[in-house]
Amino acid sequence: MIWEVFRQEKPGGYHTHCGNVHAPDAEMAKLFAEVQHGRRKPTNSLWVVPQPEIAEVDAEDTTFGGTTDKSYRWAMTYTGVDASFAEEVAESQREQETADREREEVTAGGNS
Amino acid sequence: MDIETVKERAAPRAFSPKDDMPEEYRKAATRMIQFHANSEIMGAYLERPFIRQAPSLDRKLAFSAKVQDEIGHGQLLYRAAESLGIKTREEMLEELATGDGKFLNCFHYPMEEWVETPMIGFFVDGAAMRRQATLKRSSWEPYAHAMDKVCFEEGFHVKHGEDILRELATGSRAERERLQEAFETWWPRIIQFFGPTDDKSTHHDFASEVGLKQLSNDELRNAFLNAYIPKAEKYGLEIPEEPRIRKRDDGTYRVVEDDLDWDEFFTVAKNDYEGSHVQIGKRHDTQEAVEWVRTVLDEHEQTSMGTAPAAAD
Ligand SMILES: [Fe+2]
Repeated sequence: MIWEVFRQEKPGGYHTHCGNVHAPDAEMAKLFAEVQHGRRKPTNSLWVVPQPEIAEVDAEDTTFGGTTDKSYRWAMTYTGVDASFAEEVAESQREQETADREREEVTAGGNS
Repeated sequence: MDIETVKERAAPRAFSPKDDMPEEYRKAATRMIQFHANSEIMGAYLERPFIRQAPSLDRKLAFSAKVQDEIGHGQLLYRAAESLGIKTREEMLEELATGDGKFLNCFHYPMEEWVETPMIGFFVDGAAMRRQATLKRSSWEPYAHAMDKVCFEEGFHVKHGEDILRELATGSRAERERLQEAFETWWPRIIQFFGPTDDKSTHHDFASEVGLKQLSNDELRNAFLNAYIPKAEKYGLEIPEEPRIRKRDDGTYRVVEDDLDWDEFFTVAKNDYEGSHVQIGKRHDTQEAVEWVRTVLDEHEQTSMGTAPAAAD
């Protein structure tokens, strides 16, 4: 069976996908994941997940974010007001700007 | 882990469901996160009618997106609360329906006029966001992770709220007058958002000792006033005379708390205010009306997953 591996670098961080391993059971999968994915990159924790348990929806199945103009969902749309008066509002807007830019790059570059 | 170890190790995102946390910690965290989750849901219900009452298509779309976000935040937070192993999501939702679940004071009051919407959408959301930003450093990792996503989304809510405020504040004289009236009605409640001053707050000490929360009521209220009083003034709103707010030499504020109605606050906190019954009742009725959807989904889950789901993780 194939097990997908997720690595968390630091305590409190997110587990992000980093690869997969072949293993007959969870114990062996953890061991292989440790050897293959936990040695060089900083690792605080690993998750192994049986691949058949993972369900996927991708950009061929759907249009993420919808097909209509949803600019009303974004902080930067409201240009008549300024986010800088509160650091947390400004930070949220910066995160949204980044996400929006990355989305556009992905869309413009195709889904390859 | 015993309480002393918890206090020693308390740090941002220090504890996760893997850690064997003492019951006292798990209960305190559950109380805090459940309250937060409930508030997201109840806030969404308060704003929902304005999807219909919005004066333009843009506002309608923004309100529907916002209400959807808030319900999502509620779900995210119930998951974070559930991970403490004290209560299941079903139990917490049930408590909200029966009136046992507690939520933010501001959401116990009716909101009927469009002119009131920035009171929630800008001031209350702004206050909430100040608080939530500090909770990214909560010691319960699933709570901190939920805050990452909530704060990411919330900037839209606050700016949308301010945009409505700006529009009304630059509107007709009648509009500006009604805006001022709404502000006077909501202002004391907004100040009470942060609860009573630290020495009167019952839960603060423990929650801060174990790193669940980072700032005290007073510190948060102060941070809020610092950013939002200038905003109110910018839009020509006059700060009501009461509660009296004095600026100290160090730039912080002192609120004369005796000017606020704490009897009302504590009645609200017990879900016993007139508006509490109305708001809880409204949600209860809506829940009941869509009960069949949950039943169908549960049945489907039972058949497709075989056995009872939610058991172990
Ligand atoms: Fe929210």
